[in-house]
Amino acid sequence: MNLRILWMYHDLMDLYGDKGNIQVLKTRCAKRGIDCSVDTCTIGEKKDPADYDLFFMGGGADREQNLIYEDLIARKEDIRRAMDERTAFLLICGGYQLFGQYYRDQDGSEIQGLGFFDYYTIAADRDHRCIGNIAVETVIDGVSMKAVGFENHGGQTQNVSSPFARVLSGHGNMYRSEYEGFMNDQVLATYMHGPLLPKNPGIADQIIRRALKKRSGEVTLADLDDTLEISARNIMLDRLKVSH
Amino acid sequence: MSLTLRLVKTLHHILSKAGRGGSLPGSLALKLDPDFISRFHMPGIVVIVTGTNGKTTTSNLIAESLRACGLKVINNHRGDNLNVGIATLLAVSSDSRFNVQADAAVIEVDELTVYRQFKNLHPTALVVTNFFRDQLDRAGEMETIIRKIMEVTEDFEGDLILNGDDPNVIRIGENVGKAKVRWFSVGRCGVSRGTTDEASEGKFCPRCGRPLKYEYYQYSHIGRFCCEHDGFGRISPYLQVDAVDFHDGTFRADGHVFHSFINTIYAVYNCAATVCVLKSLGLDETRADEVFTGYELKEGRNEVFRLSKPCVINLVKNPTGTNEVLKSILSIPGEKNVCIFLNDNDQDGHDVSWIWDAHFERLNDPQVKTVVCSGLRAYDMALRLKYEGLEDRVMVIENSTKAVKWLDEQNMDSYIIATYTALHATRAILRKEEHA
Repeated sequence: MNLRILWMYHDLMDLYGDKGNIQVLKTRCAKRGIDCSVDTCTIGEKKDPADYDLFFMGGGADREQNLIYEDLIARKEDIRRAMDERTAFLLICGGYQLFGQYYRDQDGSEIQGLGFFDYYTIAADRDHRCIGNIAVETVIDGVSMKAVGFENHGGQTQNVSSPFARVLSGHGNMYRSEYEGFMNDQVLATYMHGPLLPKNPGIADQIIRRALKKRSGEVTLADLDDTLEISARNIMLDRLKVSH
Repeated sequence: MSLTLRLVKTLHHILSKAGRGGSLPGSLALKLDPDFISRFHMPGIVVIVTGTNGKTTTSNLIAESLRACGLKVINNHRGDNLNVGIATLLAVSSDSRFNVQADAAVIEVDELTVYRQFKNLHPTALVVTNFFRDQLDRAGEMETIIRKIMEVTEDFEGDLILNGDDPNVIRIGENVGKAKVRWFSVGRCGVSRGTTDEASEGKFCPRCGRPLKYEYYQYSHIGRFCCEHDGFGRISPYLQVDAVDFHDGTFRADGHVFHSFINTIYAVYNCAATVCVLKSLGLDETRADEVFTGYELKEGRNEVFRLSKPCVINLVKNPTGTNEVLKSILSIPGEKNVCIFLNDNDQDGHDVSWIWDAHFERLNDPQVKTVVCSGLRAYDMALRLKYEGLEDRVMVIENSTKAVKWLDEQNMDSYIIATYTALHATRAILRKEEHA
């Protein structure tokens, strides 16, 4: 069995240690004998997202986001085809925002998103920036779990039809909001950095399952020793006064 | 005499008698008078030092060098670089009419707040060491920091002493009208490389957005580069360092040989900034070498404690600093234990995701026997190392005293790296555990 990951804009959208997510996916595959290969793709590079099982895109600062924006929009039809062909998507922060309708910054200027989903994002003033540790509860493909991360975004994302998780502590999509991220059966989009996957091995495994499904169908993943992962997660849950 | 100034001086006097330093006096002063800092009559030379890494060391080297040139100098030598620390320094160094009693003030200022105090301090020179990603939850994006500094230096009329090898710093020098821009630069040397896995900034030209072309990297995104389209990065250095010799720990500038205080590339940059300041003031540059030669790094910068075997402690704040510390630990031969104290208090930054941007995989070296993870986020650190294949050598000891005792019991050289708030507590434990 093998899994092919396309890591978009690895050199630009790599804020807050998001690259750690890739490392976790690779390692968790390797431990189960799944051959996981990662290709990177940056501005101007020719790669067809439909050739991959998982499309990963992290967050970037405003400056980087503006640099990649045109290149991303030019790939819209390729990305749509990858979606039609059941590629799984993991999108963090800026990646999440750009898959929606638009992003309006603090000066009121708008950049159009890929428009695949109905949500849109409007930058908040400095006093409403969502910064800090966050704990959420989610159900991914029938598996329920608690997850922790670190959020740091000014953008307030609204009109989300199906959120990724319910906020137990922290902000989520908007300042002091109830829900976090966006999710359907193929796309998981979130503001959660930390990075997301190391302390949330349950999410990592669901992502691997979704990606493998494209070419290998439903698979059962062998259990791994996640003692350290669970300890790291539970310490944060305790601190946020959220039960395990 | 102003009542606030009198109160502050008295408080400082009492605290010093009680053997306590700290910035409590300054904090009181700013509560009573928010404009306190702007009331001082500053000396004829005021050098502000800012940037991400190397501020404390560089400002101490500059202050000591000016002293070696015969000037009376005040400086916040312990790195109290926020408003309260600066207010304390000025209050205790001035007479009752707010006249600062010195020929020169060398003031390290936090890069996030420098734009607020810049004009109040009446600087004659601004030194910028570098800009790296650092504590993004506290700082917001680095872009904001750079833009704010650009705003206050736009009409600055003094000397800008700038690292010409950092694309982020060059942007400040490009945006000035009246200031005299003095670039310092360090030429190709033994650590220079054609490619890098460390640079997270400096990939694109800030003017036109096209890729920057690097001739070589020194560390992180520091190096020699230019934009082939619009020439961004083609600077003519005011102070060019060359002949850096990591064997002898020497380098050359303006025809003189200098001795670096530690044998690392970032130390050479700290020295270059210092020599550049002396040169711009028309002072004898060779005086700086006396300072470099005898300079002892401050607390937590390569500081050695005598456990059963030597234990070296270093402060880390961000990926770039961590990468350099890891390189220096691994360049020393012999078996060793490493201990990492990771905290996430206010001054450390609440977001510990930066550990995934640092090259901890370098610890995957057969000479590294055990890596102990300690501090408030010990498990995050252990997890980071697990994903570098170090699982079998990682040990979590959350309690810091127990962690230090464990290192002591192993009878092996050890290296501690600690984030800001863990540093002082760990040093106190080390002092207690030190063997006579």
